[in-house]
Amino acid sequence: MVETLTVIYLVYSFIAFYSLFLFALIYIQNKKLIFYCPKPDRDYSLSMVIPCYNGEEGIGGTIQGVVDAGYKNLKKIVVVDDCSTDNSYKIMKEYEKKYPGLVQVVQTPKNTGKAAGAKNYGAKFVDTELIGFTDDDSFIEEGSIDKMVGFFNEEKVGSVTSSVLVHNRNNFIEKLQSIEYKVIKFSRKLLEFIDSIYVTPGPLGIFRKSAFDKIGGFDENNLTEDIEITWHLQAEGYKVKMAVPARSYSVAPSTISAWVKQRNRWNIGGLQTIGKYKKDWFRKGMLGNFILPFFVSSWVIGLFGLGVLVYRFGTGLITNFLSAKYSVEAQTAVLRFSDINLTPNVLVFLGIIAFFFSLWFTIVALMNMSEDKNRKRENLFTVGFYMIFYLLAYPIILIISGYKFLRGQRKW
Amino acid sequence: MVMLENKKRVFWEALLLTVVVFLLGLLIGISFESGKVDLIKEYYSASEASIMDIFASGNLVDLNKMSCSDLNEANFVFADRIYTEAKLLEKYEDAGKITQSMITEHKKYDLLRTLLWINEMKTVEKCGRNYHTVIYLYEYQQDDLAKKATQTVWSKVLSDLKEQEGSNVLLVPIAVDNDLVSLSSLIKDYNITAYPALIIDDKTIVKELSSVDDFETYFNQV
Repeated sequence: MVETLTVIYLVYSFIAFYSLFLFALIYIQNKKLIFYCPKPDRDYSLSMVIPCYNGEEGIGGTIQGVVDAGYKNLKKIVVVDDCSTDNSYKIMKEYEKKYPGLVQVVQTPKNTGKAAGAKNYGAKFVDTELIGFTDDDSFIEEGSIDKMVGFFNEEKVGSVTSSVLVHNRNNFIEKLQSIEYKVIKFSRKLLEFIDSIYVTPGPLGIFRKSAFDKIGGFDENNLTEDIEITWHLQAEGYKVKMAVPARSYSVAPSTISAWVKQRNRWNIGGLQTIGKYKKDWFRKGMLGNFILPFFVSSWVIGLFGLGVLVYRFGTGLITNFLSAKYSVEAQTAVLRFSDINLTPNVLVFLGIIAFFFSLWFTIVALMNMSEDKNRKRENLFTVGFYMIFYLLAYPIILIISGYKFLRGQRKW
Repeated sequence: MVMLENKKRVFWEALLLTVVVFLLGLLIGISFESGKVDLIKEYYSASEASIMDIFASGNLVDLNKMSCSDLNEANFVFADRIYTEAKLLEKYEDAGKITQSMITEHKKYDLLRTLLWINEMKTVEKCGRNYHTVIYLYEYQQDDLAKKATQTVWSKVLSDLKEQEGSNVLLVPIAVDNDLVSLSSLIKDYNITAYPALIIDDKTIVKELSSVDDFETYFNQV
């Protein structure tokens, strides 16, 4: 009988190969369309909503960025102050004076506690064909909105997302996230070709206002309102598109604790969304047939894989510790060169192929994401670290998130 | 509709590609492992011939046509040879993940080592003892981590002992959980209930982990 662990490894290899080949084939078949942005068949009227809570550091730059993005038919920029306790409101008001008739500052009656609340509040002041959202710490690149609106020529398109990149790339964790964002963005574009985009991230997303109103805007109880609204649109039969050349830069967490906090929020929000749409398994087009199973299975596989890794590592550690202890007692060498077994096996062979395939995918993702040349680029060491250690942290964070989720934590 | 069909097609294409690559990988893996099994089989065939030769040599000693020292030397050469081959077999076993042929080969080697032990007993009977015999009995399928670690260290200590003592020690490691009737009958007399254990010179049972120095002290005493 083949060992249980061997069977598990083989199943994992199969799934890994399938995922990689699926993405690789989608890429090869649609390579020429990745940067394609249709020309708008008319001047869509657009309003942008910027929710802000204690964002005095970034809000000015964000408003200026939306203005500088240069979309000609931008009717209004609604800046929503969610009862900030810092100078945000004052700064917003300065911009309102600077751009009269374009910037409108509104204030929520009381702090909503979540971005979704402020976004929905701001949406009440919008009556244009399209409504866009950006975060108070995000910076839109010039010309980005123009590249997105053409996708709305297709009636069934409910929202268009952009490429979200990391603004701050100074320390190591920021650099790792910079790689991660690029890989996510590349994967998201590939998912568009199978109608399976699962998120319209906060830094820059534009929605058809009629679709936005039809689904009732953002779910204010969800911690990841940008995931939930995308699933909602998919469930209602809308398409979600991505304009790769449209870029927005977001401030990524600079410390591990801030990073963990952000990931917990993403994961808890993801779990909330899965719970909300669990009835749609294998229904509602790609939502139930791909997005939901893909989301759930990737988490299950990650968690189970971590369990196997911990088991293997744990038993190896205990055996090696005991072996070292007994070796000392028996006055023999703790480790000898002859103890090292370098005979390769088929699992190592499959693992190496899968690793190099993943490396290829990451490099293709990084190479396909042209950006401002003044921005710092990733080096090979950071890419290697990202592939081996950073991705390993995902399931660990998921365990923490799952625990918090079960304990009912739903705070932003 | 055509668009949807195109989109679905990529899932099937990916599946087909995965199956092909995966099966190819498995086939390469199986042939790689089989190659190693074949190599071990070759070694085994040669060793099998050697044990027959030793048996024949034993008969010649009975007929006074061969000296005891030559028979002892043949026993040592053979023991060292299958010890080295067993080390190689162990490494291949760790790397053998799909095919289970190595387990059968291990069993065959244990049988060979049992035959060597029996022959060694006969040789001592005929020629007397002028070296030490160390029979190392361990469990092949061991899941207990502490026992696994103990067995690893036992192997290392015995390897050191063999290296130091050379032709003064005939080392024969045998796995006891391979369902060999002859081996079970042989061990029964020694009343051993837990493994790993050592049988030194067919009379002394060692159950506690000891150092090379301890063994040397013991050898000097007897």
